[in-house]
Amino acid sequence: MMYVLAIFLPLLASLVAGLFGRTLGDRGAQIVTCGAVGTSALLSIPIFLTVAMEGHAVTITLLSWIQSGTVDVSWALKFDTLTAVMMIVVTWVSFMVHVYSVGYMSHDPSIPRFMSYLSLFTFAMLMLVTSDNLVQLFFGWEGVGVASYLLIGFWYEKPSACSAAIKAFLVNRVGDFGFALGIFGAYFLFDTVSFDVIFAVAPEKAAATVVFFGHEWHAITIVCLLLFVGAMGKSAQLGLHTWLPDAMEGPTPVSALIHAATMVTAGVFMVARMSPLFEYSATALMVVTVVGAATAFFAATVGCVQNDIKRVIAYSTCSQLGYMFFAIGVSAYQAAIFHLMTHAFFKALLFLGAGSVIHAMSDEQDIRRMGGIWRHVKVTWALMWIGSLALAGIPFFAGYYSKDVILEAAWAAGSPVGQMAYWLGIAAAFMTAFYSWRLLILVFHGKPRADERVMAHVHESPAVMIVPLLVLATGAVFAGWVGYELFVGHEQLHFWAGAIKNLPEHPALENVHHVPGWVALAPTVVAVSGITLAFIFYLVAPVLPGLLAKTFNGVYRFLLNKWYFDELYDVLFVRPAFRLGRGLWKGGDGALIDGVGPDGVAAATRVIAARVARAQSGYLYHYAFAMLIGVAAFVTWYMFNAR
Amino acid sequence: MTQTFAFSSLVPALPELFLTVAALALLMLGVFRKEDGCRQSTLLAIIAMAIALVLTSQLGGSVSYAFGGGEAGLFVMDGFGAFTKAMVLLGSAFTLGMSGTFLEREKIGRFEYPVLVLFATVGMMIMISANDFMSLYLGLELQSLSLYVLAAYHRDNLKATEAGVKYFVLGALASGMLLYGASLLYGFVGTTSFDGLAKVFGAEHAVRPSLGVIIGMVFVLAGLAFKISAVPFHMWAPDVYEGAPTPVTAFFAVAPKIAALALFTRVITGPFGDLAGEWRQVVIFLALASMFLGAFAAIGQTNIKRLMAYSSIGHVGFALVGIAANSVLGIQGLLIYLAIYLFMNTGVFAIILSMRQKGRLVEGIDDLAGLGKTHPAMAFVMMVLMFSMAGIPPLAGFWGKLYVFLAAVESGLMALAILGVLSSVVSAYYYLRIIKVMYFDEALEPFDRQTDRPMRLVMGLSALVVLVFTFIPGPLLVGAKAAAAVLFPAAAG
Amino acid sequence: MIAALIFYMFAAFTVGAGVMVISARNPVHSVLFLILAFFNAAGLFLLLGAEFLAMVLVVVYVGAVAVLFLFVVMMLDINLSELREGFLTYLPTGGVIALVLLVELAVTFGGWAFAPDVEALVQAPVQAAASGVTNTEALGALIYTKYVFLFQASGLILLVAMIGTILLTLRTRPGSRKQKIAAQVARTAKNSVELVKVPTGGGI
Repeated sequence: MMYVLAIFLPLLASLVAGLFGRTLGDRGAQIVTCGAVGTSALLSIPIFLTVAMEGHAVTITLLSWIQSGTVDVSWALKFDTLTAVMMIVVTWVSFMVHVYSVGYMSHDPSIPRFMSYLSLFTFAMLMLVTSDNLVQLFFGWEGVGVASYLLIGFWYEKPSACSAAIKAFLVNRVGDFGFALGIFGAYFLFDTVSFDVIFAVAPEKAAATVVFFGHEWHAITIVCLLLFVGAMGKSAQLGLHTWLPDAMEGPTPVSALIHAATMVTAGVFMVARMSPLFEYSATALMVVTVVGAATAFFAATVGCVQNDIKRVIAYSTCSQLGYMFFAIGVSAYQAAIFHLMTHAFFKALLFLGAGSVIHAMSDEQDIRRMGGIWRHVKVTWALMWIGSLALAGIPFFAGYYSKDVILEAAWAAGSPVGQMAYWLGIAAAFMTAFYSWRLLILVFHGKPRADERVMAHVHESPAVMIVPLLVLATGAVFAGWVGYELFVGHEQLHFWAGAIKNLPEHPALENVHHVPGWVALAPTVVAVSGITLAFIFYLVAPVLPGLLAKTFNGVYRFLLNKWYFDELYDVLFVRPAFRLGRGLWKGGDGALIDGVGPDGVAAATRVIAARVARAQSGYLYHYAFAMLIGVAAFVTWYMFNAR
Repeated sequence: MTQTFAFSSLVPALPELFLTVAALALLMLGVFRKEDGCRQSTLLAIIAMAIALVLTSQLGGSVSYAFGGGEAGLFVMDGFGAFTKAMVLLGSAFTLGMSGTFLEREKIGRFEYPVLVLFATVGMMIMISANDFMSLYLGLELQSLSLYVLAAYHRDNLKATEAGVKYFVLGALASGMLLYGASLLYGFVGTTSFDGLAKVFGAEHAVRPSLGVIIGMVFVLAGLAFKISAVPFHMWAPDVYEGAPTPVTAFFAVAPKIAALALFTRVITGPFGDLAGEWRQVVIFLALASMFLGAFAAIGQTNIKRLMAYSSIGHVGFALVGIAANSVLGIQGLLIYLAIYLFMNTGVFAIILSMRQKGRLVEGIDDLAGLGKTHPAMAFVMMVLMFSMAGIPPLAGFWGKLYVFLAAVESGLMALAILGVLSSVVSAYYYLRIIKVMYFDEALEPFDRQTDRPMRLVMGLSALVVLVFTFIPGPLLVGAKAAAAVLFPAAAG
Repeated sequence: MIAALIFYMFAAFTVGAGVMVISARNPVHSVLFLILAFFNAAGLFLLLGAEFLAMVLVVVYVGAVAVLFLFVVMMLDINLSELREGFLTYLPTGGVIALVLLVELAVTFGGWAFAPDVEALVQAPVQAAASGVTNTEALGALIYTKYVFLFQASGLILLVAMIGTILLTLRTRPGSRKQKIAAQVARTAKNSVELVKVPTGGGI
């Protein structure tokens, strides 16, 4: 009961706030949604304790859903350690964001709608993490996609918000297509979509192959790669990442909840959930590692030169997701989930802090027009420092533990790709520290660059916005220290209790504790040097960055334009699509379809309809006659068909 | 000739007996009251139906017979009967609940109305439980006669009386065909009992049954096809639907249709179960013709009640696809389809009943223009229902069609399934047109505010069922499967 | 031999009368032919030994239904020539359909054959009159025991028919005067006759 309640309270609240928002009023909607999600968050603690700490994993079957022939899918909630961890993260971050939104959105005219969307998202996310089969997972997957679409386009009168929402939807569609194919593939291979059965059968099918295009393929690899395409779309990995920065058009709490802490990590969660499958495909793991490491590096480089405060953090998110994926790639799923959890806290903190800054600066988002405001917003400033310290992986903050273990695992994997991931990760860690402090310095320190009117208006946010930040900051400071032993330390086997599977051939996590000292030390060293560099560039000698940008103009432009990904896609896909559309419209539609297709069919339909209507004359004897003809026709049919 | 008689042998027919007694009591109450108590009688009738529903749900756990020894009994009660009777009772109760205020406003409220609905319902339940051609015929007539009267209920309205007469004459013709077919069967086989017939045909399995049996079956099927308004025996439906008072139309579109389809199923899987090769061609033809005529003829309609008539013809076609599959899966699909159809249709008719401009009743599709602006909630419900009827996923209507077509495919009727999907595409055209009219056309005259509570309840409930079914279809699926399995004891055991 | 002859006579008359019912120009004649058909059908029943059914047919159909028809037809003054206007236009197609059905049914009856194990299924046959049980008794024994359900259901149908008739036709006209027998009987001289003493020469 507690389990079911924790999942469905947000849905209930969403419905109430959405349908009766007008009657409830703004305050009512806020109370209902915050209350429901808060209760969920509270409930998630006992659930975590029972399921993860005491090791009582449960599956609750609610209803059978699709039951036809051999397809048998039910609604069921699966609670194991993985789910419990995700639940803690999702419900608590969501709760904080709900509370924060009360303050942040206070001037918005449609608060109930916003709160309803947020709760709806929370429900979909919980559905995603508690599903016990692929189809239900897909339902949650699409649910969070829809909620994300609604929330990005929340300010629908802004054209940029609308187009960002559509872009997010379309790019995700590419990933979802892969995911759906992956589900079909899994069903094809295992004859079921239920996790438990798939995982039980996976070892037997480890060597199964499918013939496709005249070539034999390793079946599990195909399924895993398709599923990973889905994960790439949702988690904004290199190639399908373009939607994430644009998604910052949504309100800041949305960015914090969806595009930092929860939804974008769904891909990581899904791959970790499918670990018993991925373990059997070395190729798939290799691909995951390469994509993850490349994303971590790529996003970090771009993050160094962005000027929009939220976009910097968005690229940082992208980069951190890359870390999680290459951790998965070297079979350190535990480390990935660990980082997912710590990241959720400090990245949500950073986003909400950024929101607080934006709030203070009268909706200014360009960091070149900020600076020197730390005296006015001391609490926010301190919290942003904490978040950045955690993000950069400075010792004893949350990020330190999780990022270190990931990098060590990459090294410890002992494979060439692992090595590559390690070095790219180190480089990314350096840049992470650099851009984090670039952001901090440009926003809070130095001379004010905003005009006086804005500066005069700078103020600390209200308590309702600060308190959630404090809670998240606590997480950002302590989560790593508290979780280390459980998640990746010596107690991990007992803690995960089989929720994640590692084959003995992939001992990365075991070897973490036996890496050379410099490997463990390197991340901290590069982080500190990154911070130092940022201080030199932006505080000591502010001319340097400009000089550098001029000297290496090509590189600078390349980075500023995000490696020209959007332009490339524009040329490769968008314009041809437009051209194709135009061609089809003029040639196909005009000539072909209007003549024969729908219009022709529609015309024919109308003609048939008119004929049929004429038969309906209204005369009784016509009707009776039609019946008699019918009977006579049937009888005649049987007369002549008598065998 | 002394036979012992135990009242316990009547238990399987308890819901019918109760409803009959209730109807008689209501009749007496109505006659001896001074003022006209349509509203009270309606309420009491609904309560009676609710009690009957409870009684029905208690039965049906196993197959039991009444009125006659063992399997030769005239009356059978089983899981299939309980399921379909529950649907019929729900449909009757819903439509009855919607009609109260309407009749009062049109000043034609009389206590006979609920009494007739009750008798019709009893007739339907007898039909569903028929285990003999004689009880089948009597149940059918009891239902039909009540319906004829109901169609002409608004006796000062020319259209209503015309509808009543048309329905009566054509219905009599159909009954004649049915009786003729039954008598042919009796003549060639020597029994009218379903079980007896099944035994004979089962024994004869190897040889082809004589031509007379086949012809008799064709006549019986034709008579039944009239009751479900399958093409080419459908022609009464548009005229009667349009002419009859709207609550009566709502009633026609739901309960009798479900009952007749249930009867059709029982006849075709019971006595004719072993003649599947013979009747399948007829059923496939009926299904195809109904689906396509329903789809095409509805396009040109301007009156929404007439449109619903064609829509229901189309739906019957889809339901017949499930029967044509002749498998547990097919009947399960049919039952799911009918259950969803029940809610969709009552919802749509609740909206049609609310179409009033300045107290005057309107029925044109164009009158719905601008509903999206003037009555957003009502328009939303209508939109959901229309999408569902068109079979747009993820709404309930989609699942209904899916199950039926899946069953057809599994039974090897691939072509039928494909043509069915095509016809549902055509039919989507007119459902979507209603949505277009509601949301994109300018309103001329807004409807009056709907203040009737039961009506709003029905609307909300139907929309809810249609929306929620996707997520919690479990109970219905399981129930339908159990009910369907009863008809195929061989497959189950 | 004689029985067969009589059967064919009755049968031929029934069919012939049936044809005349729909083809007679005068509706009154139609009804009269209908009555003829009923009589012949009753004769057929008699040949089968079902004397109860024969009598019921005569009493109910001829005595009540047909006579009622006759009244209605006479009261309504139907112009049949108007009704028949479309007759010739539909005759060809209608005729063809009818012919096809007729031929097919003839073929069907040509192949008359009982199913093999029918005898066992024919239950509770009506005992022959020779055994002492009369037709009426046998029917009654069946209807009130085995077929009580059908009997009651038929009763319900008749009840519905009655309700329907009343519902569709009974009107209370506010202006119409009715005889209230009870009121008439209850009248007494005391409260209906007033004795007035008229003063002489005063007038009333």
